Amino acid sequence: MDGYLDGVLLDQVSKRYGRGPWVLRDLTLEVSGLVVLTGANGTGKSTLLKIAAGVLRPTSGRVVRPASVGYVPERFPSDVKMSASSYLAHMGRIRCAAAGDVLERLGFVGSLTAPMAELSKGNAQKVALAQAFLAADLLVLDEPWTGLDPAASAELVSLLEGRTALVSDHEGHLASATRVDLAGGHVTIELSRVVGLEALEALEGVWSVLSRGSSARVVVAPDRSDHVLAEALRLGCSVRSVR
Amino acid sequence: MISLVRYLAADVFRGQRFLAPLLVFLGVMGMLFSSDAGQPLEAYAGSSALLYPVAAWMAVVVATSEDVVRRGITVVSAGGWSRVLTAAALVAVAIALAMALLAAVWPVVTNPHPYTFGEFLIGLAAHTACALLGVGVGLMFARPVFDAIGRTVLAVFAVVVLTYPLGRVTPLGWVLDALGHNSFSLSVLWAAVVGAALVSGAVVVGVRRA
Repeated sequence: MDGYLDGVLLDQVSKRYGRGPWVLRDLTLEVSGLVVLTGANGTGKSTLLKIAAGVLRPTSGRVVRPASVGYVPERFPSDVKMSASSYLAHMGRIRCAAAGDVLERLGFVGSLTAPMAELSKGNAQKVALAQAFLAADLLVLDEPWTGLDPAASAELVSLLEGRTALVSDHEGHLASATRVDLAGGHVTIELSRVVGLEALEALEGVWSVLSRGSSARVVVAPDRSDHVLAEALRLGCSVRSVR
Repeated sequence: MISLVRYLAADVFRGQRFLAPLLVFLGVMGMLFSSDAGQPLEAYAGSSALLYPVAAWMAVVVATSEDVVRRGITVVSAGGWSRVLTAAALVAVAIALAMALLAAVWPVVTNPHPYTFGEFLIGLAAHTACALLGVGVGLMFARPVFDAIGRTVLAVFAVVVLTYPLGRVTPLGWVLDALGHNSFSLSVLWAAVVGAALVSGAVVVGVRRA
């Protein structure tokens, strides 16, 4: 779904892979200007960025994004046979965009005509950033400072000024940006003599329910754990552990 | 779309995985037509039967040429999965049609039996049908429908191998049966229609699974 000004709107977005646990649950986020995602490993930052960019579809919820989005993944592949110049030329033609000076500003060193597999990690990351900056509207960058030297890191901060971007960052490069913390972790409640499994699953804050016979493991948002515990007891379940 | 097709084709040709199906195709074609291959249309039966699995193999190569991460970047740059999967299908079909043309021309040059222009066109139609069927099968089980290459290879191999014993039940059987009787029937064209529908269906399934 496209056409939301130059930012992105995620409305009540939830995501789970197959029948696995919920990675994101009912997340609403409106991005305009610079927004930094923070949170511990495994809190769903990369999944959220993929959904915002359009690589993944949410399991439920709505995403509205602009037409031209640039995306840098967490790890740019290291075995690409195509040269950097060919790759950027192709990406430019696909977007109908002229190549900018991002590579030069980031201090790219090495051969533009050699296969990208021969580039250092930092230079490959600069190519990944250069293709993303071809986008006119929104940038979605997953830990974009990975592998960059200090000068290139500072230049990237400068390049992001005035842009609309959703960026994951552990190191605090964008001090002035709006911060969204995905952390919070989760609470795991082990239950036995479970009754009313459907009622438990439907409770607000419940991310997943894994049942084994008469037992169940319930993963809950921390701020809703007390409510879920009380409801489980009211339904007649026995609580074996909470951690 | 043209720039996307050009990029995906360039990526396929930069890699070397396309060489294996191409060399198998050229090698077996050389063996098939190393001596008298029979009546004009009969001679096309062997190469049509060969093109079906080779086109499926080539389609898997095209669909998986980019790794998952780079495919994600391409999807974002192009504006969605449907455009990228359509472009990948066009690349696979273009390569398969080039092989179909080569397979149709080959016996005209090497077979001692003379070919009329009509027989050449029938051969081209038969090879086109088999190429489209192969591409459809390859794309139907390749990423993003099946994520793991092992499952893709097993599924494509199973479908391709099972197609032959089913005989005239399958569109491939319609084509091979007609050529085997040194005749032409409209079922060859219907097989091409089924092949085109299979390719389109594979794109739709891929977009829904992505």
